[in-house]
Amino acid sequence: MAFADLRTDYAGRGAPLFRLALKTGVLTVLTLGFYRFWMKTRMRRYYWSAIRPGGVPMEYTAQATEKLLGFLIAVVILAFYIGVVNLILMFFSFSLFAGNAPAYAVSVVGLVPIFFFAQYRARRYILARTRWRGIRFGLEPGVKGYVWRAMLHWAITILTLGILWPRMTFALEKYRTDRTWYGDAKFAQGGRWQDLMGAMKHVYLGAAIMGGGTLALSLSLSPIWSLAIVMGGVWTGLGLSYWRAESFKRLTEWKTLGDVGFRCHPRGGTVVGIYILGSLAISGLLIALVFGLMMILGIAVSMIDPGVLERGFSNLDNLASVPGWIITLLGVVAYFSVFLFWGVLKEVFIKLPLVRHFAETTEILNPGALAQVRQRPRDEFAEAEGFADALPLGGGF
Amino acid sequence: MQRVGVVLDEGGLRIALPDGHTLDWRLPDLRALRDQADTEALVLAPAGTLTLERLILRDQALIKRVRARAPALDRRAPVTNKGRLAAWAAGAIASVATIIFVLVPVMADQLATLLPPKGERALGDATFEQIRTALGGESFVPVETCEAPEGLAALAKMRARINAEDDLPYPLTVTVLDHDMVNAFALPGGRIIIFRGLLEEAANAEEVAAVFAHEIGHVVNRDPTRDALRLAGSIGVLGLIFGDFAGGTVVLILANQLINAKYSQKAESGADDYAHDKLTAAGLPPAALGTFFDRLRAEYGDAEGLAAHFASHPQMTARIEAALEAQAEAEGRGRIGAPVLTAAEWRALREVCGPGAAPDAPRLDRPDRPAPRTPDVRQGGERGQDSGLGGRKKP
Repeated sequence: MAFADLRTDYAGRGAPLFRLALKTGVLTVLTLGFYRFWMKTRMRRYYWSAIRPGGVPMEYTAQATEKLLGFLIAVVILAFYIGVVNLILMFFSFSLFAGNAPAYAVSVVGLVPIFFFAQYRARRYILARTRWRGIRFGLEPGVKGYVWRAMLHWAITILTLGILWPRMTFALEKYRTDRTWYGDAKFAQGGRWQDLMGAMKHVYLGAAIMGGGTLALSLSLSPIWSLAIVMGGVWTGLGLSYWRAESFKRLTEWKTLGDVGFRCHPRGGTVVGIYILGSLAISGLLIALVFGLMMILGIAVSMIDPGVLERGFSNLDNLASVPGWIITLLGVVAYFSVFLFWGVLKEVFIKLPLVRHFAETTEILNPGALAQVRQRPRDEFAEAEGFADALPLGGGF
Repeated sequence: MQRVGVVLDEGGLRIALPDGHTLDWRLPDLRALRDQADTEALVLAPAGTLTLERLILRDQALIKRVRARAPALDRRAPVTNKGRLAAWAAGAIASVATIIFVLVPVMADQLATLLPPKGERALGDATFEQIRTALGGESFVPVETCEAPEGLAALAKMRARINAEDDLPYPLTVTVLDHDMVNAFALPGGRIIIFRGLLEEAANAEEVAAVFAHEIGHVVNRDPTRDALRLAGSIGVLGLIFGDFAGGTVVLILANQLINAKYSQKAESGADDYAHDKLTAAGLPPAALGTFFDRLRAEYGDAEGLAAHFASHPQMTARIEAALEAQAEAEGRGRIGAPVLTAAEWRALREVCGPGAAPDAPRLDRPDRPAPRTPDVRQGGERGQDSGLGGRKKP
């Protein structure tokens, strides 16, 4: 019996996501960052449930306390490294080289393997806590192989000035995908890295234009060439959006899950549009927010001391009559508001539309084969993604 | 995944599976999944965190009735790993506390004495330039150093009188910066910085000499180097704990300030003691350190409570008392000698940043001045040990 291909619905909406992100963000700031485990869990729960292949929502089943536990474990292990090793490095750096640059360099290099370790372990945790139609995903243990491969590929990519970036992307994606399971069915990453190079073509072109422009500018000193540099920069930026859409499409279509395949048709133009419109919306709203905060600040200050209005706000000394702690408090509130809204708006105007676009353009082929998939055992994994939480790795996922 | 028939009755949901079996979910056991994107549907699960079954309802009338009748729909899953959580939390706190309060300070103390002078020098030079630029404010032009020859000669005379060269691991570099702040501090590698504001605030040359001796005390004890190494060790660990929430730097700096305050208090007392000894040996009044603090306290108040904790200096009252004690002892032994500078030399020192920069007499009668807001000298990265005056800026 042949089943129709499964399309993916997307149920995420800006307003509820905004409320959730703002609420959890405020709680995170108020708890000096400790709510972040709950924030992350709840945000993921929302994003997962929004993606509905064949109309059935994905489910993120992680508990925030699991993440907290994993974080505590990572702190016990990492605190020693970060504290003692950094101090010793700093000492030797100043003893031998009379500067702190070598210490920072060695310290960062020392963290690189831990970074990849954290990345793979975090993925394992996230997949182990992801379900669709009641069936768990999973990632096989294999972090050692991932760490040395990742380091090697990064080294090659850096040595080739980024030209072999698609090769690294492909190799690491293949390593992870070939160890990913859905129930008792295993994913496989097909394709060749050479075929992924084409997805990067606009970035290469943009970089070449910039490089050529720089060369011509340094040779001829004619300012017209700076125009070429700007054009190349814009081209590279747009090319990166194309790369995002195209590399996702190719890597997804080359994946298989037993007899199940995937079709994917994201559009580079849509991705570019999301970035451009999203950035405009975010900057517009942030400017409005800063303006509003300034107004409130000004009104608050003038209520405390009406004389400030006559003297004007142009000079900080004019505010001397207002108690220092009030100024400090208002400043802190303003700082955190801007920081918070920046994060929240990024979720609403960039991440949500991107996920929506990629979800809605992905289809599952031959879904009948999914009926054969059976449940896999639970992956306990006490460490959760503690290392990724302890090190400031950025979003990552 | 399958389509099922659902009937809601008094006891709960009766779920009819396609194969003819039925499931009964009791109403008190029903839980709704939280933070769901699809507002049209209600996803139900039986109680417990590890359950696999999910019931997705889309019929709005049924959803309404279930919401009305299931009592614990929004109850959170119980925390199942409380014991392990508590154990690891204790472990994490213990390990971080050991590292920040024991291991890092002990290692910093040891390593500070082993660091070759050249390395310390580099550390201090880098910090000095950062501080000069940071104090330049919005213009980003580094603050000028003051170099009037007569003033520097007076400073050199003062330094010779304190006579600490034998205690020093490396030669001193003393700089006067053209800035209003009433402060002075020491940086790694024997750098001492005095602000013009301090020269203006001091009532006489003895007070400047006392602060000078105090800073030399920090250099002899290698406090600035120790502090820089300690910072290198502890700030990373703090970053680990607070993560990068809200550009965590602010929290990091505050937390680090709180931790270092304790050591600095010890360092300040140590530098005070050194200054008292040196001043007494040089026949200068140790009480000058006290009178200077006394006047500052009259003008700005003592730091108490939380503010005192952040101020990183033992409360002034205690330090003034210590200075007076040292004075009594010195007088008892008849050790107070000639003034450190002549009147002309003192005037030259006060004008080291240029004539007219300093008023003739210290202005002590400034009523009702608002509490000054204080720029933090240490923004520039590795910090120096300051004079204990908390970096007050003259309004």
